Amino acid sequence: MKDQLSALIDGEFEIEDSEHIFTSIKSGGELKEAWHHYHLIGDAMRGNMHMHYDFSARVMEALEAEPTVLAVSNNEVSEQVSTINTIYKKIPFKGTKVWSIAASVAAVMFVGLMVMQQQFGQSEDLSPVEIAQSMPMEYLAAHQAAAPSGSAYYIQTASYTEQDK
Amino acid sequence: MFLRAVSGITCLILSVSAFANDPWQMLEKTAYAARELNYEGQFIYQNGNQVRTVQITHMNNGGREFTRNMVLDDKPREVYSQGSDIVIFQPRNQKVMIEKRRGQNLFPAMLPTDLQLIKSSYTARLSTTDIVAGRPAQIIDLVPKDAFRYSYKIWTDSEFGLLVKMTLLNNHNETLEQIYFNQLSMLNSQDLNWFQPKIDVSKNYVIEDAAAVTRVTDDWIVAQLPPGYRKVDHIQRSIPGKSGLMNQVIFSDGIASVSLFIEPITKGKRPKMGHMLIGSTNICANVIDGHQIIVVGEVPAETVRQISKAVTFKKQTANNQ
Repeated sequence: MKDQLSALIDGEFEIEDSEHIFTSIKSGGELKEAWHHYHLIGDAMRGNMHMHYDFSARVMEALEAEPTVLAVSNNEVSEQVSTINTIYKKIPFKGTKVWSIAASVAAVMFVGLMVMQQQFGQSEDLSPVEIAQSMPMEYLAAHQAAAPSGSAYYIQTASYTEQDK
Repeated sequence: MFLRAVSGITCLILSVSAFANDPWQMLEKTAYAARELNYEGQFIYQNGNQVRTVQITHMNNGGREFTRNMVLDDKPREVYSQGSDIVIFQPRNQKVMIEKRRGQNLFPAMLPTDLQLIKSSYTARLSTTDIVAGRPAQIIDLVPKDAFRYSYKIWTDSEFGLLVKMTLLNNHNETLEQIYFNQLSMLNSQDLNWFQPKIDVSKNYVIEDAAAVTRVTDDWIVAQLPPGYRKVDHIQRSIPGKSGLMNQVIFSDGIASVSLFIEPITKGKRPKMGHMLIGSTNICANVIDGHQIIVVGEVPAETVRQISKAVTFKKQTANNQ
């Protein structure tokens, strides 16, 4: 069914045949999660990262607020589908406000990660350590990510994003 | 087969023929071509013993630039950029991490359209011709006027002006890194359907959180930069659980760039000192007035060393807590 949701978003699945998808989103579980993820992707691509939490929550609220119906009316379906379409099919951005990342968001990019990584190796000994003894990969990554001509970007060790919970 | 995108190219071709032997004019055309043309291909990036293969699709749709880079080896990822905004999708275990960044001059748009800064630090010379990705190309040497930067070789497509290859060489003429197309074709389509990530329905998508940042007055200055370098960016980050701020200042001479990191030294943490080389990147660490200074750049060691010593603090502040 996730594949069908994906296909629906890609416009490769008939709206008329997708009532069960919406029903399933409302009933929670895997598909509800997938729906979350697609919103996250859409938000990221449109530069709305700063609002992704409440955006997703709002969508879910809206879904939950609606009465659960087994057969969604065509109107309702097309409304929801047009929401999806607005979000995803327009990713190629013919609109005007897409990707207008607020300066504040641009400025914080990829951050916190590197500073968090520097918390290791705590010691009471305050004498300086040779930099070669502790590879400062987080600085290298931060440089490559922000440098104006970042060909070295492609080499970047993915290590500084290894912040799995 | 090479198809000409309708707009832009014709005038590019006309303008270049008049200045066919002026390397700066050719470099300017090269800077614009990467941004204005529609193309797709595959390029290889080599730095030290590291090699990456990347598939690129680039389109200029009504003055807006769309690029998709798909890194094929190591950790595969998709990088989408529109203008200077970049979104990276990187699968990791059962998740796909979504990361956002600010713009950079990604290959092949590695030259700034304004070459003034480069002109002050480098001499441009026409070199020989070559074939790259099956295309005839003119080589232009960018030779530094002093020892604070490396030299570059730039291969520019003889017909379209697109940068098809670039190498970075040290002062012993050894190649430190190179990046080049091994497949390239022009597109005459305006179809942007490729500009969206392939969604893997079996994975969770997670946005990497960024720390909050507040702007404060800097209590430090960089007294004396190596010649030709200008500050081009300043990024400030809060450090989780601490009152101090991490500063990243980026300097560029138009093509080479250096990052300067300044942060208060954390209690109980050993500060870093000294110098190291990773691939083509020189890194220098220093301690000044209770602050850790780290300088990173694809530039000679002397350049990072000089910048790491150039920071002076106005006076002790709360930043030091």
